[in-house]
Amino acid sequence: MTLSPEAQARLVASIAAAADRQAFAILFRHFAPRVKTFLIRSGLPTNTAEELAQETLLNVWRKAAYFDRSRAGVSTWIFTIARNLRIDHLRQGRVRDRSIEDPTDERDEPLSGEAIVMAAEREAKVRIALTKLSDEQAAVVRLSFFSEKPHSEIAEELGIPIGTVKSRVRLAMQHLRTLLDEST
Amino acid sequence: MTIEHHPSDETLARVAAGRLDAAPAIVVAVHLAACPDCRAKLRGFEAIGGALLEDLAPAEMSADALASVLGRLDEAGPAEAPPRPTPRVPRFVDGIELPAALDACEVGPLRRYAPGFRMSRIRMPGDPKANLMLMRIGAGRKMPEHGHTGIEYTLVLRGSFSDGIGHYHAGDLAEADATTDHQPVVDVDGECICLAAIEGRMKLSGILGRLLQPLLGF
Repeated sequence: MTLSPEAQARLVASIAAAADRQAFAILFRHFAPRVKTFLIRSGLPTNTAEELAQETLLNVWRKAAYFDRSRAGVSTWIFTIARNLRIDHLRQGRVRDRSIEDPTDERDEPLSGEAIVMAAEREAKVRIALTKLSDEQAAVVRLSFFSEKPHSEIAEELGIPIGTVKSRVRLAMQHLRTLLDEST
Repeated sequence: MTIEHHPSDETLARVAAGRLDAAPAIVVAVHLAACPDCRAKLRGFEAIGGALLEDLAPAEMSADALASVLGRLDEAGPAEAPPRPTPRVPRFVDGIELPAALDACEVGPLRRYAPGFRMSRIRMPGDPKANLMLMRIGAGRKMPEHGHTGIEYTLVLRGSFSDGIGHYHAGDLAEADATTDHQPVVDVDGECICLAAIEGRMKLSGILGRLLQPLLGF
């Protein structure tokens, strides 16, 4: 099942406005399995990944009213929730620093139609930018986001020197940045 | 004053991916709070995370996952409305106003380690080994000569310093990797207050450094 970014945003809005359990179930079926994959690839044991994937979606329910379309798309929002839960889990102290912006953070600017369109465009541009990376660059970007492994192990896995991994990450990030800049 | 020195793209990408250690993440957070450009960049990197998430192959959830979560929705309560933000009470240590990013941390008074060099090792909940320091260095003073095994992140809270690579003012973030054996010097027109974090271990060098090493516990 594919779920367009617009459809996802409507489902979240419906949870926020009407505690819509059906909308929640659709989002759950789409995102929980992907969040679980993300968490497993990030080095968490399967059962912990399952637990945190469920917790991530519970947070989607609880925080639906915080979802800010002028800031990010639904998949990005859910990614940040899962990321934050992972950090909280790894830091047993359960206190997360604030660098990781929470959906609960204050908004930078008032919610405007223009900002929503810009955010949606940014997300679309990112998707396109990712498809424009070379295979090698795409591989290091994926590993940088999803792999628990340090660069040295990524180097081993891809059979290339660590300096090459670092420069590929840097190049891929620069490349993405350039593509993103063109979109703003 | 405009911010001139920013975290690298790699650092912001690591923040977006949740892969920056707790101490550097706090230092970057203080910069982000003051820098709308970097907040916008961070969102770009987070959007990459969102796009990659969408592309991941779905893992199999346990058979009763959805039913179990649906059963917990009531206990989770109805979707909350965003509360009004409660005003934050500023915290001070030795007359230094602490940035909000340090709210969860224990910051003791600064101790004098050397002439013109005072420091407080900050305790972070959940990461007792974190190397996070609040430093106050006198006008014209050198910071202890040092290298490090990982990246060092230094953010200026007040005053300014130079390190041969750049000149840093309030809000600026200096990133120095392991190959940088640098010695920051505070500008002569006033003391400098910095928040610094290092990944890996600090290697102090020089006579002052060797004297400090055991004291600082690195």
